[in-house]
Amino acid sequence: MATRKRTLLKVIILGDSGVGKTSLMNQYVNKKFSNQYKATIGADFLTKEVQVEDRLVTMQIWDTAGQERFQSLGVAFYRGADCCVLVYDVNVMKSFENLDNWRNEFLIQANPSDRENFPFVVLGNKVDIDGGNSRVVAEKKAKGWCTSKGNIPYFETSAKEDLNVEAAFQCIAKNALKNETEEEIYLPDTIDVNNGGSQSKSTCEC
Amino acid sequence: MLVQGAKDGRQVGGEESEVIFVRENVSMHPTQDASQRISGRFRILKQSSSLFMTWIPYTQKGNLKVASDMNNNKSSERDRNLYSIRAVPLAEVKSIWRHTRPLVWQYIIVVLNCGLAFPPLYFHNGGIKELLNKLKEHVHMVRSLDDANLYLLNDVVQDPLQKSLSSLELRDVVPVTSVAVAQNQLLAAISSENGSSKINTAISVSNESTGYEQRKLYSRRVGRQEESRPSAQQSHCEREQMPQSDSKFEETTISDEMASTRVGSFELVESKLNDYSLSVWGRARLPPLENEEWATFLDSEGRVVDSKALRKRIFYGGLGHRLRREVWKFLLGYHQYDSTYMEREELRTKKYKEYKLLKAQWQTISADQAKRFAKFRERKSRVEKDVVRTDRILPFYAGDDNQNVSKLHDILVTYSFYNFDIGYCQGMSDFLSPILFVMEDESESFWCFVALMEHLAPNFNRDQNGMHSQLLAVAKLVELLDSPLHKYLKQADCLNYFFCFRWILIQFKREFEYENVMRLWEVLWTHYLTEHFHLYICVALLKKYRRKIVDEQMDFDCLLRFINGLSGHLNLEAVLRDAESLCILAGDSGVACIPAGTPPSLPVPML
Repeated sequence: MATRKRTLLKVIILGDSGVGKTSLMNQYVNKKFSNQYKATIGADFLTKEVQVEDRLVTMQIWDTAGQERFQSLGVAFYRGADCCVLVYDVNVMKSFENLDNWRNEFLIQANPSDRENFPFVVLGNKVDIDGGNSRVVAEKKAKGWCTSKGNIPYFETSAKEDLNVEAAFQCIAKNALKNETEEEIYLPDTIDVNNGGSQSKSTCEC
Repeated sequence: MLVQGAKDGRQVGGEESEVIFVRENVSMHPTQDASQRISGRFRILKQSSSLFMTWIPYTQKGNLKVASDMNNNKSSERDRNLYSIRAVPLAEVKSIWRHTRPLVWQYIIVVLNCGLAFPPLYFHNGGIKELLNKLKEHVHMVRSLDDANLYLLNDVVQDPLQKSLSSLELRDVVPVTSVAVAQNQLLAAISSENGSSKINTAISVSNESTGYEQRKLYSRRVGRQEESRPSAQQSHCEREQMPQSDSKFEETTISDEMASTRVGSFELVESKLNDYSLSVWGRARLPPLENEEWATFLDSEGRVVDSKALRKRIFYGGLGHRLRREVWKFLLGYHQYDSTYMEREELRTKKYKEYKLLKAQWQTISADQAKRFAKFRERKSRVEKDVVRTDRILPFYAGDDNQNVSKLHDILVTYSFYNFDIGYCQGMSDFLSPILFVMEDESESFWCFVALMEHLAPNFNRDQNGMHSQLLAVAKLVELLDSPLHKYLKQADCLNYFFCFRWILIQFKREFEYENVMRLWEVLWTHYLTEHFHLYICVALLKKYRRKIVDEQMDFDCLLRFINGLSGHLNLEAVLRDAESLCILAGDSGVACIPAGTPPSLPVPML
């Protein structure tokens, strides 16, 4: 494998407003949860050093405004992304239904070189609420959607209870790194036609 | 000829004085508006071996455009009186800095020993070289080693003032009307973050009656008892007494970053402000407007007599908190300045009823109906999500079941029915929060919010064109006012200015402490110098950190992070001063960067 030129992984978190994007990011990076976050205006990001297998990489996690009106900003924020995290609230059907829009919007705006195999990860957040009694999106349904979109890895999380957050981001980092690797392979003009997306996904046990 | 030759000063205007130098059509530019220029005759006079400098404006009629109303006439008359230079002894002049540059009007800046400076004197017909040559014949004058355009009179070499002057790179001073390229070089000098060069080049060109007031206020501001000074016999130019020792000089400066480099800002001295303003360069901010003074702006029935003067006063000092509830309604346009107490009370009642009706429109939607009304559910839930995370740290909005949070909710949902096309958008709760905090009353808050959104709703347009036009204007202003930064951002591929998005969308709501947000907004709402003062604030902030941005070679990501990280670390008063100076300096070129209809200007009506 070619020597890496950079070890910065850019990860974009998308999803409807109020599904917990900022909270997930803060829980993962700062190990903190607060009920007092403000609605994100524009965009911001945090970075975290992560060990992925034997590699130390810097993950740059981008948190964006959730209102679809602000999506036109995406062009600036999404470019160069290595992985896109789609978040919905398991208690809000609409936020799940919108995943399709978020995914399409991302592909349009970020315009990754390999649209078919660009790594996404889906998080169903807020599973803690009301002991799960208020959830309206069944896990099965979410997984079904993920499968239909090319086996997108899926996690159920609670940023508040720090449930599954670490595992989810480990997977995100792994997939982002894989995307990086693939880019790397393109650089020296050697195209490996066998290095398909399905294979790359399988290493993430989810 | 329209010259009042006999008015050159009581002491030296008589027969014995000898004219050493005279030049016609020397002018000051109180504003960027060319019609407001004050032209006059500049002379150096000699009387009993002393030299005096005079500049007396021509009388009005026929010389200036006929002003369209009485106010204009009065103010230009007043300006002429204010700015007249009546026989300043050359012994009191510390230095003269000349600006001569091809294609640009020549002007000089005269700095007095006390550290104060006159506004630039433009020599439209040339003659600066002749003036300097003439002076050399009569007074001791040396060229500064640091700056070939700086001439020092009556002076020892390299005192702090001179150092300051040269470090300010005054040679790059350009008139408002001149080319942008030259402006950039000047502004490069301003952006120094450390601002070690401190100088007060302000001058109060006032009359005797206000001089005492000024001194009094000045003493209070710097915490120093002003020594009383016999009224100037030789000089009719009342000046502030600057402490003489170097260290004290430093302490008492008003602005550390921008000195006499601004052109035209001396507009500030007039009428009411004259009583407070130490600095004709506009550096000094005033204390907030309080009740007693507010009363002086009202007639017996409660009308604001001179809304411009009021807006100006607020622009320079803001409002005491207790006054906000009353005065914001004017600034926001909910109350008319010429309305009476009684009319406003009637409006309140009428608007309350109207609000009740609007609110009932959505409150009467039954659960069953809501089930079939996705748009309504969506809007309501969007509002619900945001109000519970809007300024909850503030006691006013803290705690469970907080009534004020409910009010935020109800007002925003009502607004989304009142302005169905825009609906609710993230950022609106940020705008409403301080309004409700100030007004407390739900209906009044709603109408104030409506008035604010008249100007700012385009920030939330679906196509985001309101935001894009403002970001574009910032880009152009930076190109005009800070070309090194512009060049850097261009090569770093950052010209979309998205890193300023939050600043502009919610007008710095997240960048300052709550109290300072209120202060900033009332200053912006005055629309005093421009409707787009917030864009100059963007430029002032970027300029302030330009060195860091460029030195650290920030790319888009770093820049965004850096800018977001400035939140809570900004000095509002300094930013306001800098933005004001930039706005004045940019002048018409600045105006040209901002297309008509750019928010918060009202949209240009479609024909």
